[in-house]
Amino acid sequence: MYKRVVITGLGVVSSIGIGKDDFWKALTAGTSGISKVSSFDTSEYPTHYGGEVKGFNSEAKNMGRASQLAIASAKLALSDAGIKLDNPGLAETGVVIGTTMGESQVLEKLNDAWVKKGTEAIDPALIPQYPCNVLSLNVAKELKLNGPNLVIPNACAAGNYAIGYAYDLIRMARVDTMLAGGTDAFSRIAFIGFNRLLAVAPEKCQPFDKNRKGMLVAEGSAMILIETLEAALKRGAQIYAEILGYGLSCDAHHMTAPFSEGIEEAIEKALKQSKIPPERIDYFSAHGTGTPANDREECGAIKKVFGDYSKKLPVSSIKSMLGHTMGAASAIEAVACALSVKNDIIPPTINFQTPDPECNIDCVPNVARAARVDVALNSASAFGGNNACLVLKKF
Amino acid sequence: MDKKRIVITGLGIISSVGIGKEAFTENIFKGISGIKPITSFDTAPFKVKDAGEISNFAPEAILGPKGLRTLDRSIKLVASSAKLALDDSGLEITEANSRDTGIAIGTTFGSLSSICDFDKEALTEGVRYVNPALFPNTVINSPASQASIKFNIKGFNITVSSGFSASLDALNYALDALRNDRVKIALCGGVEEFCIQEFLGFYKAGCLTDTRGIVLGEGAGILILEELNAALARKAKIYAELLGFGSAIQDLKKSMQLSLEEALLTPEKIDYISSAANSAEEFGVSEAKAIEELFGEKAKTIPVSSIKPLVGELFSASGSLQVTAAISALEKQAVPPILLNQAKASKIENILINAAGKTGSNSSLIISKFKGY
Repeated sequence: MYKRVVITGLGVVSSIGIGKDDFWKALTAGTSGISKVSSFDTSEYPTHYGGEVKGFNSEAKNMGRASQLAIASAKLALSDAGIKLDNPGLAETGVVIGTTMGESQVLEKLNDAWVKKGTEAIDPALIPQYPCNVLSLNVAKELKLNGPNLVIPNACAAGNYAIGYAYDLIRMARVDTMLAGGTDAFSRIAFIGFNRLLAVAPEKCQPFDKNRKGMLVAEGSAMILIETLEAALKRGAQIYAEILGYGLSCDAHHMTAPFSEGIEEAIEKALKQSKIPPERIDYFSAHGTGTPANDREECGAIKKVFGDYSKKLPVSSIKSMLGHTMGAASAIEAVACALSVKNDIIPPTINFQTPDPECNIDCVPNVARAARVDVALNSASAFGGNNACLVLKKF
Repeated sequence: MDKKRIVITGLGIISSVGIGKEAFTENIFKGISGIKPITSFDTAPFKVKDAGEISNFAPEAILGPKGLRTLDRSIKLVASSAKLALDDSGLEITEANSRDTGIAIGTTFGSLSSICDFDKEALTEGVRYVNPALFPNTVINSPASQASIKFNIKGFNITVSSGFSASLDALNYALDALRNDRVKIALCGGVEEFCIQEFLGFYKAGCLTDTRGIVLGEGAGILILEELNAALARKAKIYAELLGFGSAIQDLKKSMQLSLEEALLTPEKIDYISSAANSAEEFGVSEAKAIEELFGEKAKTIPVSSIKPLVGELFSASGSLQVTAAISALEKQAVPPILLNQAKASKIENILINAAGKTGSNSSLIISKFKGY
């Protein structure tokens, strides 16, 4: 028999709030975390805005910012779950982290030195901080977690891949407790790339709007504490939601162009594993990057899977507030789903002005909505045509 | 819950000692080394001059000439080894089974040269001159994703980064996906390319020295996994059965122990250990100690060997080459070089494979000769 798996701790570090309470308050108030990029000089770039986490200071040394963000959100998740750092059970706990760019800022520093002063100027102390497997190892080392340890760099759907695999490991009784989520630091390489693909909005991210102009590069991290239902009940933990299942698919179509068929497939697989009919979904947390192509293809998939119900289904994109936090995005969105299920409030899509016939869905425009949320579906897509959808249910 | 039995039915290898599983295993057993002077960049400024570069890799011969222009080396290595593995298995991915086929690739650097070159182009030429067509190569999961596009693999597509153990961790992910009915066919393995950026990283960090450090290699290995009944139904060639897997952070003894527990085997049943030992002395000593602690007296009688002196340290790709060499050990009933002890095997049925390094995650896998029902 498979075990039942629940979420009992949430940790977020984001541009709109650090810690789940501040994050949720800002999210339901429709707060934007977008500002002028300060990590590096953007004067040579066509756009200048992004979602940076301000006021975040880490005491963790000898590591890059993506690891520091992940450690902070992991600690927040443990403390939210009421698990003390000296809990002996932590020794068996595992860590799975999704990322797009890994420790991109470390590599950028190495490149800066190399380009400006040659290979002699490369700082050897920075090198071990780069390989992306350090993300989960740094969290494990800091919190003394010796269970399964992996990084899943599945680009912008990585958080859902990580949470899905952690769920599988617990469900199959390999391990009782996992910390899973995603992390990405503000990446110059991503900023260059998305700008060169002409995918970046000048100032605002406006998912599903007829005049949407693109995504915004951002940073952040979310880690979620997941455990067996048995263990959670035994220790009297607060339960945010039960994970019912997830679905993965690959478009096998194009590296960067989103494709509705593949998204449909992932949604359908997630519903099937969860044994939930489409009409039971009360909130659909969209990938919703705000690029013309993504929102069109995603809404196409929603219409296909949900049929007539797609007109009633609340679909929102919190990327309208946070920008695109890359590998952390679907993990942060999973936190939003867990809180939505817990509190019966649906976060809005802000910056929405003009309806688009191609995105004929209820995007919960501009203002959060109180509504019964028993089941939420968290959708994510990524470079490489990789899609991952996760289903959470009120416990 | 009865565990599904999962078997290996296809192998594809691109390595410095041979392209394709035949050339790779023949040359490994002959003890032919792929380590030679580096040709992809000028080594004059460095004390280290050698690596296991693949010098005769012609992806167009394997993949055909079309659609390769913007693909980088890591992508071509994965796509080529996937093609060889699919051909070897006799499987064809069609519209009918593409949604039941997945791919899991272990790599920690991905296309490191692509990532660095993209950023450096912006720094030297200016942001507006960077070629946007090269941006998709900079995500670490580009090799797996391009393989999906090339071979129409739609079931799942995942990249696992866990350092030295990544190939075995990707294999275990594929195993779980098969056991949980997510797919019916899984391609899994690993890739690392040799490039100046990787070389500089290890070199500057002090891991490569002319005497006692590691020697870097490159390559990719893909294995095809299927559920036993599906493989039998299509009369597939069955190379080996996967019995057990274990993983731990910097604790090989624990990862080996976990793999034995899952395989329901006692240490006495292991006939050969494929070691992760590279030429870094300190790590070799720690692995030998872990084996001795777990196997006790029996440790002296189990042959232990490492292929890394021949192919170099392939980091996240190592495990996939080790599994392939181990399969040929089952076929040939002989231990591949380079031997690390004096023990001799009378028969080889169960093999323990270690994928590990000085830091990070360690994983162990047990494969077994398929003996039928």
